[in-house]
Amino acid sequence: MRPGTFIRLALVGNRTDAARLALTALSAALAALAVLAALSVLAIQTPPGDPGQHSEQYTNALLREPGLRGGTAFAILLLTIPVLALAGQCARLGAPARDRRLAAFRLAGATPGQVTRVAVLETGLASLLGTVAGLATYLVGRALVHRPDVNGQLALPTDVLPTVPELALVVLALPLVAAAVTALMLRRVTATPLGVVRRARRAGRPRPWPALLIALGVLGAALFEPIRQASGDGLEAWVFGSVFVGAFAAVLGVILGVGWLSHWTGRLLHRYAGSPARLLAARRLTEDPWAGSRTFAALLAALAIGAGAAAFRAGFELREQLEREQNRRAGYDDFSNGQNAFYLRTMDLVDLAVGVAVVIAVAGLLVMLIEGITARRRAYAALVAGGVPRATLGVSILWQVLAPVVPAVLLALGAGYTLGRMLNPDIVTGGDWEPVCRATAELCADPANRDSHIEMVLVDGVVHSPGVPLEQLALLGAGAVAATLLTAGLGVLFLRSSTAVEELRAT
Amino acid sequence: MTQLQARGLVKSYGPTPALRGVTLDVAEGEIVAVTGPSGCGKSTLLHCLAGILRPDAGEVSWHGHRIDTWSEAARSRLRRTEFGVLFQFGQLVAELTAAENVALPLLLAGTGRRAARTAALTWLDRFGVAQLADVRPGEMSGGQQQRCATARALVTEPRVLFADEPTGALDTLTGEQVLTQLVRLAREQRTTVVLITHEPRIAAYADREIVLRDGVIDHTGLGLDAAPLAGGPR
Repeated sequence: MRPGTFIRLALVGNRTDAARLALTALSAALAALAVLAALSVLAIQTPPGDPGQHSEQYTNALLREPGLRGGTAFAILLLTIPVLALAGQCARLGAPARDRRLAAFRLAGATPGQVTRVAVLETGLASLLGTVAGLATYLVGRALVHRPDVNGQLALPTDVLPTVPELALVVLALPLVAAAVTALMLRRVTATPLGVVRRARRAGRPRPWPALLIALGVLGAALFEPIRQASGDGLEAWVFGSVFVGAFAAVLGVILGVGWLSHWTGRLLHRYAGSPARLLAARRLTEDPWAGSRTFAALLAALAIGAGAAAFRAGFELREQLEREQNRRAGYDDFSNGQNAFYLRTMDLVDLAVGVAVVIAVAGLLVMLIEGITARRRAYAALVAGGVPRATLGVSILWQVLAPVVPAVLLALGAGYTLGRMLNPDIVTGGDWEPVCRATAELCADPANRDSHIEMVLVDGVVHSPGVPLEQLALLGAGAVAATLLTAGLGVLFLRSSTAVEELRAT
Repeated sequence: MTQLQARGLVKSYGPTPALRGVTLDVAEGEIVAVTGPSGCGKSTLLHCLAGILRPDAGEVSWHGHRIDTWSEAARSRLRRTEFGVLFQFGQLVAELTAAENVALPLLLAGTGRRAARTAALTWLDRFGVAQLADVRPGEMSGGQQQRCATARALVTEPRVLFADEPTGALDTLTGEQVLTQLVRLAREQRTTVVLITHEPRIAAYADREIVLRDGVIDHTGLGLDAAPLAGGPR
């Protein structure tokens, strides 16, 4: 087949296919923007001389201080996780129509390999379109935002540019990765002239083993402080690496744990299902419990990070408060060295990133919901034709979304906060060696005998524990559940069109 | 006694007319087959009679009450309580077991779970698929799925069953088996059946055959071209 024919076949389709292509391109554009932003931060040059010298042309310390730029770039790169999750969910949009189209290609004489290449090309081309649009947006945005203030300082690194090979790599590598992932996903899919066959292995009942991953993460975080105390100031890189791996394992455990939670809530719902809506939701949850892991992965990861950040914020706030009190007692009035304020500003940025991640994750959830409704449209249309109220189907979808998401959100918040709290130990103030008199006051006051009656004793300091940031955790949890509920409500609006009588005539 | 009545039904999809003035009476307990070439308006007529679609013009009456003017909720309630609807394929909920699929209309009507399951098992047994009660549709053959769907359409003991090409996706033998059972049970229950088909052999099961062409009734009579099938109910 000629390349032109491949491209034409990859880009034909109905409105749903166009929506999938557009969303794939949008995801690729967002991912490209995030990677370009991270590369821009890394492209900032440290002034010659001292490697720790600040780049004073920036207003933000995250860009100014060379030691913080790596972490800032990493935090920006983390934003690509929900974006890539969105891309993965977009790939499922309109799958039934695409399957019919691929089957029609086979019926017209295309080989299985050609059909796979058409599907891979579709994703690759849409992603390429997205990364080019992302690069264009980056270059235009960079020129528009490049406005030094009265001190000649910049808010963003608009004076530096990643190298040309780096730019080319972003534009080309992302579509290649997207195409490779599509090819990987199609390994178990065979397009035949009569339809698309998925050789899916029937997944077993989920077990609660992801709890071990969470425990591993918490254990890693719990060991951090004793190791830090034992090592003094010289903490080795492997300790940080282990904590990071542990935190990653814990977040993975939360995401995979949703499979077990879905199954469990599904069984519970089924046991007490008094209405058809709950019965439908319960069976969907037990039939495909991993759908929850796929659907809520990005949302839960964002919540776990947000809860961890809340624990860090509580720690920094306490430290700031104690330092201010200490300085006030020492006569420095309300002096603060500004270090905690800097960390608190950094936490603001983390919260902003978590907010953006939640919005992207919720967009992915909407795509997933609509896809789920579209895939079941014929059965739904038949039920509605038989007299089942659309409201019943709508309520079943709401149950299906909300039943696992509430415990999953609690789990994510709990795991994230525990990790953050473990890495933010209690603050001890005032602990020191102090003289204690072991005799009468007169003897201890006598300079000749004092030394034999006074003993130096290590007095415990006052332990200050950061309070549980209930307000922030509740805001995160309630916000996530409310956003999920709103999204599910929006998804349910598609029921009307998906249960139209025309769906009964579709083959 | 006339149970269902259509007067001058007109329905178009955009500029394409599907029905152009169909008038029809269906008596209680009657089995009516609507036949005709593809695109002649058979399914549209069934959808209008069942209250799934509203005609652009004309009237549909149920025991003398016009239902085409009713709200969608009222028509849904009518379909849930008085009608059963059966389609060609894809109508079972993939995640529910056969028994749960069949019990669904009863649960919607407020029947308790245990009673609904008992009734579902009875109907599955009548169609010879009781052993599949706890099996999901994906693990059944097309014929078994259609038997379950037919059991679901009849479980509420509807007064009218609307069947749109119910055996269209089945092989000849399985299709005849499903239809034989459906017609036998409908006659036992005195359920009226409006059956859409384009196969004369299937139409031969009916008391009356209505042939549609280009959105109007071309002629009416008995199964015209085919002899009744061996063991057929007529």
